[in-house]
Amino acid sequence: MADHEMALEVRELVRVYRRGSEEIRALDGVSLSIPKGEFISFMGPSGCGKTTLINLLGCLDNPSSGELSLGGKPIFGAGKQLSETELTLLRRQAFGYIFQNFYLIPTLTVRENVALPLAFYRKPGGEGEAEVDRLLGLLGIEHRGEHLPREISGGEMQRVAIARALVNRPEILIADEPTGNLDSRRSAEIGEVLQEINRAGLTVIMVTHSPGLARLGGRIVEMRDGRAFEE
Amino acid sequence: MITPFQVACKNLLRKKMRTWLTLIGIMLSSWVLVSLFGFNRGYESALNRDIDNLGCQLMIMAKGCPYEAATLMLQGGQGLRYIEESMVQKIAREPEVERITPILMQAFFDPNKGESGGIAGFYGVEAASFPAMKPFLRFKNGGWFKGESAAEVVMGYEAAELEQREVGDFTLVPEKNVRLKVVGILERTGTQDDGTIFVPLKTLMKISGTDKITTIGITLKKDADQAKLENKLYQLPDLQVVSFSQVKQTIMKLVATARVMVFSIALVALLISMVGVVNTVLMSVLERKQEIGILKTMGAMPRDIFCLVWTETLILCSAGGMLGIAFALIFARVTDLLVRRILPYAPSGGLVEIDAGLALLTLLVIVAVGLASGIYPAWRAGSMRPLESIRSE
Amino acid sequence: MPMYLLRIVFLALLLCSTGTLPALAAVGCGLNDPDRDVPRLFPESTSYLTSYSSIAQRGGESLRKKIENRLGNRYLTLYAPIDAPYTFYEIYRDKKRVGYIHGVNQKGQFGGIQVFVALDLSGRIKTFYLQKITGSSAGKFRDAAFYRKFVGVSLRDFDGFDPASGKGSGRLAEIANPAPELDTDFYGILRGLKKNLILMDEFVFSAPWGKP
Repeated sequence: MADHEMALEVRELVRVYRRGSEEIRALDGVSLSIPKGEFISFMGPSGCGKTTLINLLGCLDNPSSGELSLGGKPIFGAGKQLSETELTLLRRQAFGYIFQNFYLIPTLTVRENVALPLAFYRKPGGEGEAEVDRLLGLLGIEHRGEHLPREISGGEMQRVAIARALVNRPEILIADEPTGNLDSRRSAEIGEVLQEINRAGLTVIMVTHSPGLARLGGRIVEMRDGRAFEE
Repeated sequence: MITPFQVACKNLLRKKMRTWLTLIGIMLSSWVLVSLFGFNRGYESALNRDIDNLGCQLMIMAKGCPYEAATLMLQGGQGLRYIEESMVQKIAREPEVERITPILMQAFFDPNKGESGGIAGFYGVEAASFPAMKPFLRFKNGGWFKGESAAEVVMGYEAAELEQREVGDFTLVPEKNVRLKVVGILERTGTQDDGTIFVPLKTLMKISGTDKITTIGITLKKDADQAKLENKLYQLPDLQVVSFSQVKQTIMKLVATARVMVFSIALVALLISMVGVVNTVLMSVLERKQEIGILKTMGAMPRDIFCLVWTETLILCSAGGMLGIAFALIFARVTDLLVRRILPYAPSGGLVEIDAGLALLTLLVIVAVGLASGIYPAWRAGSMRPLESIRSE
Repeated sequence: MPMYLLRIVFLALLLCSTGTLPALAAVGCGLNDPDRDVPRLFPESTSYLTSYSSIAQRGGESLRKKIENRLGNRYLTLYAPIDAPYTFYEIYRDKKRVGYIHGVNQKGQFGGIQVFVALDLSGRIKTFYLQKITGSSAGKFRDAAFYRKFVGVSLRDFDGFDPASGKGSGRLAEIANPAPELDTDFYGILRGLKKNLILMDEFVFSAPWGKP
């Protein structure tokens, strides 16, 4: 992955859902390239397909047709469908995720939440526990280490989620409406955090409703009816 | 550093009441199961102990019904039919016989025993041959009779206690008004010997005015063919041969029906509590769909999630199983009393024997059944796609 | 909330396993058929309560020595250990207690003599009953006329009379032996009565903390 300059490339990506007898084309042929170190935001009205696209880019789902390459290596193509196990193997190497609802484990402390991915997978060459402390410090939440999620604010919870997403040193961060549940001040703070992470070399792929947040990134893609439009 | 095991434990603690109720369900069924196993083993070994205490392996009585003979003998009762004493010499000649002893059981009516009178039973035994059949009998005071026709008695512990006799006191045979001197009092054995009054055979014969006997006790040589001897004895006219393996089988058959019934109930209880486990774990999996989805985005493989949920089942079953076994051990005595009330015949001594091996076996059964029932919820959790789970309400 | 429920359940189970067991009551000291015997001894009774008490429970070793001193015997009974439960019957007419029944197993010439006394609330004998006695003329002791001679006897009557030697004065000295060939049993019965009254006195009438 390290050698190629493209983080992700997709061609004619299509995703069709079946609801009863109806067919819904959530993605109708999207092609784009995302270089390494890019901060790209996807915007658009609900139902435009941005969430579907980001799910495919993040290898959370299989496309109905089209091609996807990760770091130059083709992943999806020629109708090949990957199993959950194969997808998981892909994901844990390359991706970290954060969501609108944070999704922290309520019975674990902040520190335990951040360290949780290490219980299932340790990237070879990674720092392990030391990384947890480093990230807590980086995100300004080391003083919250022993608290439970219900004892901290929304902004802090998202920081914990970000720390957790980064603990295994992914190449790409997928952020699905990261500030959806936060007020404007906290949103701005998270935006800054994402910018900093991006400056450090991480590719950030974000979906957002907030134009202010999107502008932080530099590259904005509009989505409408399953298609992508760039200015 | 957090481990999947700790995650599983913390998950169970999330809904304490639900976890406790499930635990109690498993605890109760494991309690019943281990007590049953313990009783199974305890009953049989207690029965063997009682039968061994009788001293002989075969008993000859005058012809009658085997069930009756078995029950009467085990309750220390008496056969009312007689055998010729010459039978003893005849059977003694058989090669398989190691020891043989004649016994006469007699009862006399005592009008002053209780409101309307009662029976006093006596056991006439031969000083020369009877003690050799029961070498484990110990004396609290005194010893066996001095002569075959002595006017003496040896009393079992409880018989002496009831009559407040000491060695040197006299006792009276009711109806015949014969005085006999107490020369020995036995120590407590926990068998029906405790309530028995032993008299020299010839003395009892004289008192009762008979020269016959009621029973012959036989022990066999070590490698003797018991079946062969039994067959020979069956040929003798008007005699009933009771072998204690037969008696044991009869009693075990009587108990077997009860046992099968109780085991079925225990099994049903186990299955019901397992349904409780499956319900608890499945509910908690469905409540945690989003979390499970997130775990998958963190790199948890389907098998990791499967193991996580299966671990929760394992924790529930082992904890519940161990609690149940602990309670069973503590209350083994209570279980003992309850069982004695229900069964037709209960041997003396501890009935419920639970040892480490049995406890482990029960735990393994519970855990195995639990893990089997836990496969479905674990599989459900493992095969969830992260997208569906995260997106679910 | 679930914790305190569990504690209650646990306590209940614990109590079940440690309750005293009547099956171990001292041998020969219980009525064979109380439902039949109680109305016979207390014709005015409507119900009775069976309770158990042991020397160990009520005073231990010091109580045992005290009772033996009062009895003047070498030992209390041949076979009863200090924790053997004694059976007491409390007799009621409707809700009112009217008396007690208590039995002892006394050594007789040829066997144990089971002596039961029926006492009124002041500790006087209303009647007594020999549940069991061994001996060919022992039946003479089980005569209603003999029992009647003891109506109204209390512990005080034993102050001037020693049943061990048969010497003394008072109404007890005046009671004739209906079976002179069974002297041992006659005095045995008297000793049994004294033992009964002393035990009842210790357990019931002068017990510092009341009824058993």
